[in-house]
Amino acid sequence: MVPFGGWEMPLSYPGGTLGEHRACRGGAVVFDVSHLGTVRVTGPGARDALQRSLTNDLNKVKPGRAQYTHLLSDDGSVLDDIIIWWVAPETFDVMPNASNTDEVVKALRSGAGADLAVQDTTSARAVLAIQGPLAREKMKDVSPEAASVARFGVKEFTFDQYRCVAAGTGYTGEDGIECAVPAAAAGAFWQAVLNAGVTPAGLGARDTLRLEAGLPLHGQDIGEGVTPLNAGLGWVVAWEKGDFPGRSALVAQSEAGVTPLLHGLRTGGRRPIRSGTEVMLDSRKIGYVSSGNFSPTLECGIALAYLSNRIPVGDTVSLSVRGTEVEAEVVDLPFVTKS
Amino acid sequence: MNIPEELRYSVEHEWIRTDGARITVGITDYAQDALGDIVFIQVPEVDAILEAGSMMGEIESTKSVSEIYAPIAGTVIEVNTHLEDSPEMLNSDPYGEGWIVVMEPAAPSDLDDLLDQTQYRALTEE
Repeated sequence: MVPFGGWEMPLSYPGGTLGEHRACRGGAVVFDVSHLGTVRVTGPGARDALQRSLTNDLNKVKPGRAQYTHLLSDDGSVLDDIIIWWVAPETFDVMPNASNTDEVVKALRSGAGADLAVQDTTSARAVLAIQGPLAREKMKDVSPEAASVARFGVKEFTFDQYRCVAAGTGYTGEDGIECAVPAAAAGAFWQAVLNAGVTPAGLGARDTLRLEAGLPLHGQDIGEGVTPLNAGLGWVVAWEKGDFPGRSALVAQSEAGVTPLLHGLRTGGRRPIRSGTEVMLDSRKIGYVSSGNFSPTLECGIALAYLSNRIPVGDTVSLSVRGTEVEAEVVDLPFVTKS
Repeated sequence: MNIPEELRYSVEHEWIRTDGARITVGITDYAQDALGDIVFIQVPEVDAILEAGSMMGEIESTKSVSEIYAPIAGTVIEVNTHLEDSPEMLNSDPYGEGWIVVMEPAAPSDLDDLLDQTQYRALTEE
């Protein structure tokens, strides 16, 4: 067990990180991701409050759908990356990262009128993420209703007479379902998922899976001093929908030229790449690794790195790994596509 | 935790098996368990002459990097090249298939300074 954003979480179960990683690429795993916050926003003013506060545009989706979005500070830094589950026309579950829930509650409450309620419901529920090509098949044994949720769909379902929410979302690059279950039913739900033949997986596998999928981790790849444009996530910014915190900073950054830029790197050997590693080109430092590891699927080192200029895919850069120069190729993201 | 009685141990969590004039070195069950899933190992070259306690390689798992040290002074006469492609043998069979190097000790009496099973067990329980 390791401390993580105020929670105690398993790095791995007895199966080990590599076994859990492969189970997700080839079968189905379950992560306990209760550390993600849930902020329930309800009322006639809920939709407008989210539109005003976050970067993406809810007009692109509708009730019963999920959307990835950002909360920015005024300088354009990513305060948090968030998934919104649009549960019902006036009910949204806003899901920030472990440590950012208070920040998100504050942002949504500021400037809000009496026509919405913002409530941190994190401690009232557990969230289990069932991920992998066999996730839906296995989940039929637990709840056929949850198992049939569409990719990026959101629907309510009943488990053991408890009302739960399922979403076709995840953080592994695989198909999967995330279920929010009332705390009182969480133990029984977890057991039912394991009984259906799903492998429990910990933080170690969660990190190697999201890295292979090229998905950024807040606090590592995005955060203070990094905008969505730096991270190659311009698609979460809806320029035309009206103002939101950070918008003018992003406009200024686009005009001035966006630097540094996130790149994918891949080495020819098995040595894991670590965050903080310097990236060199022609003996000159051009950036640093924000996340890296060994890719269990590709069996080589992979990394997300911020580089001062756009380096074309196929070009070679070098990494200084404790005094040794290691060559790395610039590659497209994601490193691994869905099985 | 598996700590075989017939082996000797270093404080850096290596095991040493004596076989005539040669020793075989690997990492202990305790070490592999603490490291987690091992994905990479760098081993010394054959003929490398090592001082006692000098770094002879590196092991990396999905969560961390760790150095391997020569338990006593000597010359490397064989390395386990299978580990290069199958470093997971360090996890699955640390005292067998996961052996790392065979060395010829500079002074066989140095072996007397190593820990026995009881002493090493005490170290892992500190």
